[in-house]
Amino acid sequence: MSPAKPENFQPERAQPEDTGKPGWKEAVKGFFFERLGLDGVAALAAHKRVPIHSRSLFYFLGGMALFLFGIQVVTGILLSLYYKPSPDQAFESVRAIVTEVDFGWLFRSIHSWSANLLIGVLFLHILTTYIMRAYRRPREFTWLTGMALLGVFMTFGFSGYLLPWNQLAFFATKVGTAIANSVPVVGKYLLLMARGGEEVTGDTLARFYALHVVILPLSVLALVGGHLFLVQKHEMSVPEDMIKKYGSAKKAPSMPFVPHFLLRDMVGWYLALGVLAALAALFPWELGQKADPFSSAPPGIKPEWYFLFMFQALKHLPGQLFGIEWLEGEVVGVLFFGLLGLMVLLVPFLDRGAATGRPRRVLNFFAVLTVVFFLYMTAWGVLEKPAQEQPAKTPQTTADSPEGPPVKGTP
Amino acid sequence: MNKLLSLLTPALLLVCSRIRRAKAHPTAALLLLVSALLLVWAVLPGSAAAEDAKLPPGKPAEPKMPAIEIKSIPDADNYCIQCHTQLDTGDPKDQKFHIPLESLKNDVHWQKGVRCQDCHGGDPSVQEIKAHQANDDFRAIKSPTDIPNFCGRCHSNIEYMRHFNPSPRTDQLAEYWTSGHGKKLKKGDPQVATCISCHDQPHGNAIDLKPHGIRPVNEPASPVYHTKVAQTCSKCHSDQKLMAGRLYKDKPLPCDEYAKWSKSVHGEALLKKGDLSAPTCNNCHGNHGAAPPQMDSVANACGSCHGKIGRLFAETKMRHKFEKEGLPGCATCHSNHEIRKPSDDLLGMQNGTFCARCHEEGKEKHGATLAGAKAAETIHADLEHLKNGIHEADKTLTEAEEKGMEVSEPKFHLQKASDSLTNARTQIHSFKVNVVQTALADGEKVVKEVQGKADHALEEYQYRRYWLAISLVPILMVIGLLILYIRAMPIPEKPVDS
Repeated sequence: MSPAKPENFQPERAQPEDTGKPGWKEAVKGFFFERLGLDGVAALAAHKRVPIHSRSLFYFLGGMALFLFGIQVVTGILLSLYYKPSPDQAFESVRAIVTEVDFGWLFRSIHSWSANLLIGVLFLHILTTYIMRAYRRPREFTWLTGMALLGVFMTFGFSGYLLPWNQLAFFATKVGTAIANSVPVVGKYLLLMARGGEEVTGDTLARFYALHVVILPLSVLALVGGHLFLVQKHEMSVPEDMIKKYGSAKKAPSMPFVPHFLLRDMVGWYLALGVLAALAALFPWELGQKADPFSSAPPGIKPEWYFLFMFQALKHLPGQLFGIEWLEGEVVGVLFFGLLGLMVLLVPFLDRGAATGRPRRVLNFFAVLTVVFFLYMTAWGVLEKPAQEQPAKTPQTTADSPEGPPVKGTP
Repeated sequence: MNKLLSLLTPALLLVCSRIRRAKAHPTAALLLLVSALLLVWAVLPGSAAAEDAKLPPGKPAEPKMPAIEIKSIPDADNYCIQCHTQLDTGDPKDQKFHIPLESLKNDVHWQKGVRCQDCHGGDPSVQEIKAHQANDDFRAIKSPTDIPNFCGRCHSNIEYMRHFNPSPRTDQLAEYWTSGHGKKLKKGDPQVATCISCHDQPHGNAIDLKPHGIRPVNEPASPVYHTKVAQTCSKCHSDQKLMAGRLYKDKPLPCDEYAKWSKSVHGEALLKKGDLSAPTCNNCHGNHGAAPPQMDSVANACGSCHGKIGRLFAETKMRHKFEKEGLPGCATCHSNHEIRKPSDDLLGMQNGTFCARCHEEGKEKHGATLAGAKAAETIHADLEHLKNGIHEADKTLTEAEEKGMEVSEPKFHLQKASDSLTNARTQIHSFKVNVVQTALADGEKVVKEVQGKADHALEEYQYRRYWLAISLVPILMVIGLLILYIRAMPIPEKPVDS
């Protein structure tokens, strides 16, 4: 049985006749190829192919994430030209960026929107990788680097959220960093490390800024480098059913990455650019009010949507589970999410039947449960109206409560 | 004294030498002689001046107060307490003299260690009825007229009061005798407020043994705590029976003051909002010296809180005209007890305004002029202009904010226009158009700036939409071309070696 051919599949065109004398294009190309050693890259590009099947759209997510990261780098560099990381000036400098700097509003809005789209794309990328079981041998480390990248980008989001030093971000950071205190044994040290002291202050802002513009970008470069290397090394994963259908991965239909897949990638990138421009112009990212550390927490403080599922769960966990004094709800919640993260990280190793193609029913059950839990808690968090009478109904820990242990769900 | 004489001797010698020289001028010589005699009198022993001179310089003589003896005796040995707290026998004769210990515990005097004998005299160590006559210094209150002096015995004694407070107030009794209550009491009217009427409500003027729960003034449960003063005064002043037939300046005393005040801006602030800075009866009428402010002192009473307005009004021609016409200053427009929150609609010449009451054409009163009417109209129109300007600017800013535009800075700046409006409303009390217009000018400037920024924000929003549409065109074109190119591009088969 011969493999199915794509609809517009045609034999390669005949190459023009070699006259023996290189034209100017070849001369320029030769100049750079010789000096930069681009032959290897060209060979890799020529060699790289992307499988064609009903879920081929999934392959675009990685490239889309990379494109959005590029947008983040460019807009981030432009914002850093005007941003001043100090509690006295941070808010004012962001306000100046959006009101006084030419196109500052555009870059700030695109930076914020793009960051959120990027996290969304990363979630989908990981989910589709799971669905296609693309993490199976020998791509376990590709999965691990991908998960590390998700962690880094979420930290990017968390640190960037505080930088405008507005009221919502300040208190959300206060609550967010306080959660670290619930980690058994090392919680206190984690909190001190995150805040740079007991409280969220200018020191916190300084280290979040350093994290956001130096530490995390360098980490991303290293991790993306490793991730892309592994993707090239092991080539694009072909779904199991395709392998079964065509006998081997190599026999499955595919298209060259350059230029065929790259051109399709570009369509997605242009679409993303249009969507970002529309979002920035029609829904400029809000700045809010300047943080006032001495005021009470404003009603309805919540983190960015990708942390909302954890925030919502921790918020509604009772102070003591099952009335047992030592079973603190928040500690249990933090441990649960830690365990959940570890499980997701170790999926390639937990899926024991990946090599033989055995179904992964138990893993799928937990995966569906996790996705439903994530969607439900996020929707709940988004739709929940802030309690006007109890503005500070947020998870509290001993770090924020000098009187003693935290009382769940109390102001 | 010797030191003083040693100082004065050379001075006298100098005077004598001057007299010798002044022989040619008899009047001058006489004057010098009189001066010299005065000097000698001043230093003579026994003269008043000499008595004063005995005091160190800069220390005036203190008025002498009768010493109050503090008789300290343990409560367990104090038969006043032992008997009077246990007379709760049910027998009306005993009951009259029963003083509940619970009531005493709330009493500021009791809390400070003042015991029965310190006010009433007598001998607390004697367990007999004769204790009340011991040393003939037993002090009983037989009539309300006894009360002010009974309390004043200690409360007017600086030295005694200093036991309890390093800087005590001791002028209450003196003030009381100048109050409407005090004056009537002196004339023999027992139906007036005395110390316990206010300080020990609900017992009021009842002359039995019950008034022994006088709480500290700063205690919220005290009937004279700031939030309770009006209710305390109203116990009598809202009592139609008690007020019947009473006159003030030949007019019957009203009894609706509390009802009016509680509806006023002051009453609502104090009673509903709990604003302790809001005035109650004693802030305008005084407390121990309670009396209505006189016609020419109303503005000063109001000005004690509304200082800027008071100063402005004091410098106006209007003030003198009011005094001449017998009009009660601020109360002429704002009324006295039922002072409502003023609004700009009360200004100008339309129906129901303060100004129209006197300045209305053809119905002028109290010498009001038409020029004044015109000034009122101008001021009202100018205030409305700024107010509308602020409203419009705020509306535009809100619209821009709802569209996601960053306008927090102009929004904050707009508060200055509101401040300017408030200032202009104060300046109205100068009754000068140019003064009000100067105050409004700053606000008008701010409104113009903010309106410009708000309009710019809305324009910017439209501009962004416009450029979004324009930028989407090439993006969509590129996407379209790419799709066309991709569709036309054949997908090559894998090389054979792969």
